[in-house]
Amino acid sequence: MRFVKRVGEGTFKQTFEVISADNLRVALKLYKAAIAGPREQREIDAMLRCSHDNIARLLSVDRYDFEGNVLVTLTEEFLPGGTLTEKGQIPRGECLRIGGCLIDAVAHIADLDLVHRDIKPDNIMFREDQRTPVLTDFGVARDLMDSSLTPTWAPRGPGTPFFSSPEQLNNQKSLIDWRSDQFALGVVLAYVTLGMHPYRPASRSDNEVVDLVATRNGPTQLFIDRCNSSSLPILVKMVAPWPIHRYRTSGQLSVAWSSQEGAE
Amino acid sequence: MSVYHQMGHHSNNLVDLPEMSAFAGAIFSPINAGIAEVKEQIALGHETRGQFEHILDPQLYVPASERGRLKEWPYYPKDVDTADLTSSAWWTGLNEKLARACDSLRLDGLCSPIVIPKIFDDKYYARTIQVGSELAAHYRDTKTRILQTALVNLPELTDPNRPLELASLISGTKAERIYLIFVGTTEPRRELNQADELVGAMRMIHALEINSAPVLVGFCSSDVLLWKAAGASSCASGKFFNLRRFTRQRFEEPSATGGGQLPYWFEEALMAFLRQGDLMRVRRTGLFSEAGGHNAFCRQILEILDEASRTHTPPKAWLGISWRQFLYWFAEVEGRLQRGDADRKPYCVPQTQTGQSSMRRRSFWKSVSTTAHGSESG
Repeated sequence: MRFVKRVGEGTFKQTFEVISADNLRVALKLYKAAIAGPREQREIDAMLRCSHDNIARLLSVDRYDFEGNVLVTLTEEFLPGGTLTEKGQIPRGECLRIGGCLIDAVAHIADLDLVHRDIKPDNIMFREDQRTPVLTDFGVARDLMDSSLTPTWAPRGPGTPFFSSPEQLNNQKSLIDWRSDQFALGVVLAYVTLGMHPYRPASRSDNEVVDLVATRNGPTQLFIDRCNSSSLPILVKMVAPWPIHRYRTSGQLSVAWSSQEGAE
Repeated sequence: MSVYHQMGHHSNNLVDLPEMSAFAGAIFSPINAGIAEVKEQIALGHETRGQFEHILDPQLYVPASERGRLKEWPYYPKDVDTADLTSSAWWTGLNEKLARACDSLRLDGLCSPIVIPKIFDDKYYARTIQVGSELAAHYRDTKTRILQTALVNLPELTDPNRPLELASLISGTKAERIYLIFVGTTEPRRELNQADELVGAMRMIHALEINSAPVLVGFCSSDVLLWKAAGASSCASGKFFNLRRFTRQRFEEPSATGGGQLPYWFEEALMAFLRQGDLMRVRRTGLFSEAGGHNAFCRQILEILDEASRTHTPPKAWLGISWRQFLYWFAEVEGRLQRGDADRKPYCVPQTQTGQSSMRRRSFWKSVSTTAHGSESG
């Protein structure tokens, strides 16, 4: 295995681009020893269960004993097409196409009773064709059939606050299901297509926006108007403050999404 | 869209009455019938009742109470006194036993098992959803549809956020429909009168219904009007008062009698159950609703009372007819609400023009009275 470069670092792990023994470009994720454990196992379990074109493929899991510490690495397919963040603002047609793929991925995760809980532009990468979006980083994914690892006293659940649903921000664990991923995906698509967070009134900081989401203020009228004028009305329902007001099943979301003008 | 019989002790004879043809199905209870009896009923129903929906409510609300014939059913948990009811494994085992027991019943619907908790909290609701989802997954490719049972504590719904929180939680089930039961402390014969609770309940029903989670509200009484106004697809009621309201106390009442054997007349104009004396007073003051004119059981009751009055003898028992009178109204008013034709004006409402329509209504009630006295009315 040959290291090429370090490509990123999160709370729980570092990611490297490496060339494998059989000469393939792969992503090597190294868990930080001090905070590995149940979360690492969850990520592995979740990824092993997924099998979808728009979800990153886990190639191997290895454990190394190094100076008394067990180091865990995940080898995943390397995604050279960059992140959705790097793409900047995308046109409506791209939003429809990428959104359709990601809704399929979220539906696949939901069918497995999993919730990703950290859908954001940085965790959406592209294959070499620069077109195929792939959902990555299942580090805080949760199996709904297992107990939560987040303590009930924690003020906020795991995930990236700016893209998180109100139930995640308020750590209302009983309310977190696939519809939380639906919310985050709605925010992501709104952000990269319309250039706005659905809950952001003019001149509010990111932290203030997070507070508005947590208090279930609801999307702004400006956002609703922009969705309607851009013929993306489905986004409004996806980011509703209460899960009951979002699409109940991934099948319903998928049908609604593909019924929008211009969708494939 | 429909009404269902909430089956109780000896309720079978009501199901096939021609006057009850508006009922779309029945929710059977294992408390009042053994598995062989229910199987026979359903088999008969499949032969004779067309699209009628046969649903089983496993009635484990208070399993330790060992009520009626529940103990005879093979899914009844023998370890209920010692089991950890918060254990997912225990519920998975129960679901498997329930599915095995129901395999031969040819059910159209099965309500997920549920107990009344000591404390209604999110953990309890989440567990019930997990149990219902598991059962729905088990039955995914069969003809039996699972209804997610949701016992909702009415007093909780006064918190403005709680109806939407609970609707969010409940709609997370993999079961398509919700069998919604409101738990309160108001005695079955009394009307629910806590406005905030009722508004909360209606908001919750509305939220579920408009977001693809059709609701069948169980154990309904006159509150059917509120649930229908909120958009409930279906409502269920039964002949006994403890089949028209769900309280913890219902498990302390003798199931065979339904907690009382006095006959009551349900009067739409007052939205109240009337005892015989009150019925006669209301009749004299002309407060009857026009709805009764369409209900053959109203006529039968009045004929019995008029006969008693004419002969100065005690009236014949009309308890059985009173059950029919209420259930007919229940189905008929649901149909009217569904059609948007709810307005059956009270008898005494003054008419704006000639008073002719008022006279027409008066003639119906008068004709019952005069016929009973032996003279013909036009």
